[in-house]
Amino acid sequence: MCGITGIFSYHYASTSVKREELRLIRDQMAARGPDGKGEWFSQDGRVGLGHRRLAIIDLSDAGAQPMSNEDGSVVLVYNGEIYNYRELRAELEGQGVKFFSHSDTEVILRLYETMGDSLCSKLRGMFAFGLWDAKKNALLLARGPCGIKPLYYANDGWTFRFASQVKALLKSPAVSKDPEPAGVVGFFLLGSVPEPFTLYQEIRALPAGSFMWVDSCGPAQTQKYFNFNEAYWAGAERYRTTPVENIKEVIWQALRESVQAHLTADVPVGLFLSSGIDSTLLLALAATLSTEPMRTITLAFDEYRDTSQDEAPLAAKTAAHYGAQHSTYRLTRNEFNDDLPKVFEAMDQPTIDGINTYFISKAAKARDLKVALSGIGGDELLGGYSSFSIIPKWRKIAFIPALVPFSGEIFRGLFDAFLGPVGIFHPKFSGLLKFGGTTSGAYFLKRGLYMPWELKKFLSRDIFENGLERLNLTRRLKSSLVPSPKSDFARVSILESQWYLRNQLLRDTDWASMAHSLEVRTPYVDATLFKQLAPLFALMKPRENKAWITDSFKADLPAEVLQRKKTGFTVPMPVWLHERTNAKPLSSRQSQLWARTWARSVGQEMAV
Amino acid sequence: MTDAFGGHGGIAQYNRDFLTALSGIEEVSDIVVLPRLAAEKNFRVPEKITQLKPVFHPVIYGFRALWLALTRGPFDLIFCGHVYMSFLAGIVSGITGKPYWLQIYGIEAWQRQKRLNVYFSERASQILSISRFSRRKFLSWATLDPERVKILPATADMSRFVPGAKSKLLLQRWGLEGCQVILTVSRLDSSERYKGHSLIIKTMPSLIKKFKKLRYVISGNGNDKKCLEQLASQLGVEKEVIFLGEVDEALKPELYRLADVFVMPSKKEGFGIVYLEAMASGIPVIAGNKDGSVDPLRDGENGRLVNPDDPREIVAAIEDQLSGAKNETIATSKFAFCNFKNHLLRILKLNFPERFACNEKLYA
Repeated sequence: MCGITGIFSYHYASTSVKREELRLIRDQMAARGPDGKGEWFSQDGRVGLGHRRLAIIDLSDAGAQPMSNEDGSVVLVYNGEIYNYRELRAELEGQGVKFFSHSDTEVILRLYETMGDSLCSKLRGMFAFGLWDAKKNALLLARGPCGIKPLYYANDGWTFRFASQVKALLKSPAVSKDPEPAGVVGFFLLGSVPEPFTLYQEIRALPAGSFMWVDSCGPAQTQKYFNFNEAYWAGAERYRTTPVENIKEVIWQALRESVQAHLTADVPVGLFLSSGIDSTLLLALAATLSTEPMRTITLAFDEYRDTSQDEAPLAAKTAAHYGAQHSTYRLTRNEFNDDLPKVFEAMDQPTIDGINTYFISKAAKARDLKVALSGIGGDELLGGYSSFSIIPKWRKIAFIPALVPFSGEIFRGLFDAFLGPVGIFHPKFSGLLKFGGTTSGAYFLKRGLYMPWELKKFLSRDIFENGLERLNLTRRLKSSLVPSPKSDFARVSILESQWYLRNQLLRDTDWASMAHSLEVRTPYVDATLFKQLAPLFALMKPRENKAWITDSFKADLPAEVLQRKKTGFTVPMPVWLHERTNAKPLSSRQSQLWARTWARSVGQEMAV
Repeated sequence: MTDAFGGHGGIAQYNRDFLTALSGIEEVSDIVVLPRLAAEKNFRVPEKITQLKPVFHPVIYGFRALWLALTRGPFDLIFCGHVYMSFLAGIVSGITGKPYWLQIYGIEAWQRQKRLNVYFSERASQILSISRFSRRKFLSWATLDPERVKILPATADMSRFVPGAKSKLLLQRWGLEGCQVILTVSRLDSSERYKGHSLIIKTMPSLIKKFKKLRYVISGNGNDKKCLEQLASQLGVEKEVIFLGEVDEALKPELYRLADVFVMPSKKEGFGIVYLEAMASGIPVIAGNKDGSVDPLRDGENGRLVNPDDPREIVAAIEDQLSGAKNETIATSKFAFCNFKNHLLRILKLNFPERFACNEKLYA
């Protein structure tokens, strides 16, 4: 895991790359790569690449970056992990390709030499890279299929700059800080900034599962090489006639294979353990696959000690069950308050989540871990969220009334006049008929933070109006369902994966773990696993697949984990944050709307 | 487009360069230009270009353009030389089924347009901006894939504007013998006060204390001239500030060479071709850092950028230039016409890959 950056003065009128500027951007990402730094500049001064290294595979200097081939015609900076690099290497060696290191970086380099930009679909893992091809006089930028690793770029029309973090790009005096209203509005609507937007007009995210060429004419249109929808769309038929026993075997094999792949490293791999099924399942699989005992970590809070909300006892039992070296990290209010400024410093873009990951990563780092597995993505893949059952229900209720012209506006008016002031319903309820009639709209209703019309209360008119228009959230949500998968389960899974998981969970995991130089791996977020299981899950009813999984592992999982009702991960942070500035305790209404209050504070801290 | 051959000002100059470059590309066979204005009647156009009589009335212009597109074609590309006309270009493009390109220059494209113009601007297949600043401003209201907006910076005739000795004749004519000269070349329009003439006039009293034989020469005409003259006399520098009025185009190269420093601390330049002409003439340039001016000055590599809102910074920059030695090797070759033309060819290739596939040429 690393931090990467590059500057390409592609336009004939642009000035040469300034070394100092590249270093400024690169070293802003020092926490992403404390083990080394590197830079490379083309002879004509038009291209510069920079790298901060966190060494995990091939710890020697041979794995250092920027890495170039023998004649210097291809130079690469890359951030991520390729789990099938050994297989790919063997394949290439079979074709006579010679290697000088044992790193996965070189595998990407050689693969590019062999097959050009179609290499992306061969890679299993999480990645983002920038590759300079001197013969083509062009730069290739690519990002992994699930968007686990971030990649941002800023193009001013003369010069193209990219980096792993928005805040790194902001270090460059040449990158415009003009605000992007769509990013601001998107944050308040959803709780995280939806890609490709950032808070800045000039800085954009390279969309997950795509690559982009930049030549002397500047960036060309991004090209998509992986589409989740197609995986759901195609291939479901092959499972229709598969016997039940075989399906269980398919699921088990696919998960096992993914966990095995994610254990690939030249350093010990730990695991974030909660008392839920997803992380327990990971441990169950990892324990059988790892030669060493797994090192597990649980985040717990003193406030919850001896209550049903305390995850620590069950997690410790589970760990003992699998013979793991377990540790519980108890976060105190004082530590939380002390670290809060550092959290904001590490937060790359505003988000209402990520604090848990920040502290559990801190705990992992304190136990000398460089790599840890996390169960995030399990709920999106396996249908663990309540959204899988609620969204189709809402849609059924709202579908017909929403067809009546202006019903959305009338309902909203009535709600604001009568139900809103009562204070029992969440203000989002006013959008029931406006959005609830479609799957994508109902998804926004479920995941949204504010309704669009609420934003004008605290955003300037310019940002509010311009932002809503530029973001065009309804259209964007709809278009993420094209081609539309055939089942409700698949539709919700797609929306959860492409919005909440990508823009919130994965991005937060990245900055929060990188702040402690920890690489977090997510075996449930894996394109290969997804391709294997998505068509199967597409056939299932909500929650049915989770039951399948549990059934498959019943014999092996601790009974208490299976019996534990899913409560959602609760944290005392709202109370802590509230009590930092308020003498009165958090009321139940304030607690209901806490995410909104928090979003406003984050907005202020991040100068939104 | 608004104007090209026979037109005055920066936009007309840019359009002429664009059309000339286009006509010089082998694969391009016919270019028909319908301007709204042409100040001069006698002008020469390069081969392959037909410039029709100007039509000023917007409605008649619209019908004329549509009629032309339907009867005189078939054309492969519609070029729209002003964002205000994007509505018309979009309609013509829709009816003929041919793509259209939109050119943006400066201030006209910085503010959000009327709804229809926004709609049609966002539908141009290619947008060309004269500078990074204009591109950024355009993208602040136009919602489209930003990569569709490319930059084709203005160019200057580097064979005409060359360094050289001051013309004795002109020094005599304008009474500048033995003087150090600050020069600004631009229109003097009351709507364009952002160019900063008054700022420089206001610095003159302090500058002449240090530089005894200093003159501020203003070339250009407009309805703000009287105001500026008044200001100069109020400050007691009417002798030191010289208004030349409109200087003949043929004298321009010599005019630049008279200067010791070219100053225009403007706040609203799309690009500022005059900076390029001054630099090509070997004259050090001082410009504002808040608009498209940073492009010809290449972020300060080709000249000095100052905060146009800070008079002290402007004075300090002028003093530095007047005290230092004149640098005659300013790297303006980046903006040479051949680079302009080659970049245009690249953009054409991007848009019409089959038509231009065989053209591997680089124009010299």
